[in-house]
Amino acid sequence: MIAASRLGVSLPHVSATSQIVASQLRPAVISLSSASKDVIPERHEFWHTQQSLSASAPKSCFLRATSAVHGPSQVRYAHTDITVPDFTEYRRETTAAANRSAEAGSVDRRAFTYMLVGGGAVAGAYSAKSLVTDFVSTMAASADVLAMAKIEIKLSDIPEGKNMTFKWRGKPLFVRHRTAEEIEEVAAVDVNSLRHPEHDSERVKVPEWLVLIGVCTHLGCVPIANAGEFGGYFCPCHGSHYDASGRIRKGPAPLNLEVPEYEFTSDDLMIVG
Amino acid sequence: MFARLSRGRKVLLGALGALTAGGAGVVTALHVSVSADEFVHPPPLKWSHNGLFSALDHKSIRRGYQVYRQVCSTCHSMKYLAFRNLIGVTHTEEEAKAIAEEYMFMDGPDEEGNMFERPGKLSDYFPRPYENDEQARAANAGSLPPDLSYIALARHGGEDYIFALMTGYCDPPAGIDIRDELYYNPYFPGAAIGMAPPLYNEILEYEDGTPATLGQLAKDVSVFLRWASEPEHDQRKRMGMKMLMIFTLLIGASYYMKRHKWSVMKSRKIAYRPPN
Amino acid sequence: MSFTQTIYNTVFRRTSSYALAIVVGAVFFERFFDQLGDGLFDYMNKGMQSHMQATCSKQWKDLKQDLALRQSSDEDE
Repeated sequence: MIAASRLGVSLPHVSATSQIVASQLRPAVISLSSASKDVIPERHEFWHTQQSLSASAPKSCFLRATSAVHGPSQVRYAHTDITVPDFTEYRRETTAAANRSAEAGSVDRRAFTYMLVGGGAVAGAYSAKSLVTDFVSTMAASADVLAMAKIEIKLSDIPEGKNMTFKWRGKPLFVRHRTAEEIEEVAAVDVNSLRHPEHDSERVKVPEWLVLIGVCTHLGCVPIANAGEFGGYFCPCHGSHYDASGRIRKGPAPLNLEVPEYEFTSDDLMIVG
Repeated sequence: MFARLSRGRKVLLGALGALTAGGAGVVTALHVSVSADEFVHPPPLKWSHNGLFSALDHKSIRRGYQVYRQVCSTCHSMKYLAFRNLIGVTHTEEEAKAIAEEYMFMDGPDEEGNMFERPGKLSDYFPRPYENDEQARAANAGSLPPDLSYIALARHGGEDYIFALMTGYCDPPAGIDIRDELYYNPYFPGAAIGMAPPLYNEILEYEDGTPATLGQLAKDVSVFLRWASEPEHDQRKRMGMKMLMIFTLLIGASYYMKRHKWSVMKSRKIAYRPPN
Repeated sequence: MSFTQTIYNTVFRRTSSYALAIVVGAVFFERFFDQLGDGLFDYMNKGMQSHMQATCSKQWKDLKQDLALRQSSDEDE
């Protein structure tokens, strides 16, 4: 009540100006005839002629009506003030003809586009791959580093029973020309009795030639060749004894001396690295 | 397209073009006047590697190396070139190894801490004729023979200059005095050069039997020095050619794609009719 | 069904097969293009005809052949 009176006080003209509009809708009464007579809807015959279409068009704008017997009847703007640009440059030849269905050649057109785009993608993939490999390869070791990373050793320079030390990648490299007795001795050792079990055949490619990195596996001293209780190497720092296969036999070192990668390129030449 | 531009635009474009041309002219004139000096500019020669896609003549590089080794290297170092650089360019690996082993290099220290000499390896750089610049100056009447590793990049005219310098020695014209230990060469900046004429006909015998005329020697050593300055020369041109080929394809493809995507936009008509 | 229709239906229709075709195509295209480019470069650098040399090419591989020939002829003598 309060709200209604307030509304009535503040807005008296609302009610004063309101008017009742009669509903334009008529009740939808569907009369279903129970009679068996067929219902034939009334046909509105309407002839699309140029005259009738033109007559039905509003007079305020430029409209042009066309009709044809075998073709669509249409009403279109007749722009006399706007020139329509020539779009033939953007139309394909197959769609240029007005009397042919554009759908007929659509697969051909799409296939052509896909093929060209795919070809572009292939060329793009090739250039992207070249670009990436070129940039990544700049991170690879340079030629001067690679040239220093390998060392050639003339085997004839090393007499039998002698160990030679070379400098290789900043580390001492031992190359040992072993005698037959040494080979026999290290091969006969029971692998299970070793701290770091490796058979001699796993550590050499040719029995006569033993290649080792001359760094003690304990704390990195350089062992002395042909010394120690096992006739191989002896580390003077903490007393690790290695045999003639570079295996740890006594002392604090945990592992055998490391064997680098090497290969024999000829009878007289070995490349380490 | 140009015809459709408005008058103001035409004037603007014309002014811009005139300004660019004028600026380029001024820059060229300044450049020429700066480099003008009392010496002759080397004439541009028809090198076989001048073309956009033309590789260096490797036979010439090999002969040029021989000239450097037998003539130039007595005074000039090439300290940035290693024997391994010759492999696959002028010499096979075996040949390069043999060349390297002709020289003794200081190495060490050995187990006793002493330096020792050993024959050269592929990783060694070309030996230097002098221990240091002072020794080089002292041996050459005060002139320092420059290192030749990058000389073709370091001199105006590059290999044209080198060729002109090698073949350009002559008597000084009247009125120009040259000191006793210097030589007159119009192509050298200042025209008085400390280097005696280095090349003569038949100064050496080429291993491939090419007649060793002065022109041939100078040409070969120029090509060799160009290669030394630019070892990537051939690879660069090969890649450049492939790059142009692939970008031609890519430009064609991307132009088609652009037109395809834009055809909807380009063939659309928008008419605006203001309400009456 | 025309050839274009077949290609369209088998390759272009699905993005997966289209992308696969591009990748596979790129592998073959790389071989083809590199060979074409190298061949063209070699062809352009055949060098001038010269009466002094057995072969007249400029590049290292030609020089290498020359050297091998020279060496074998030296051994024959």
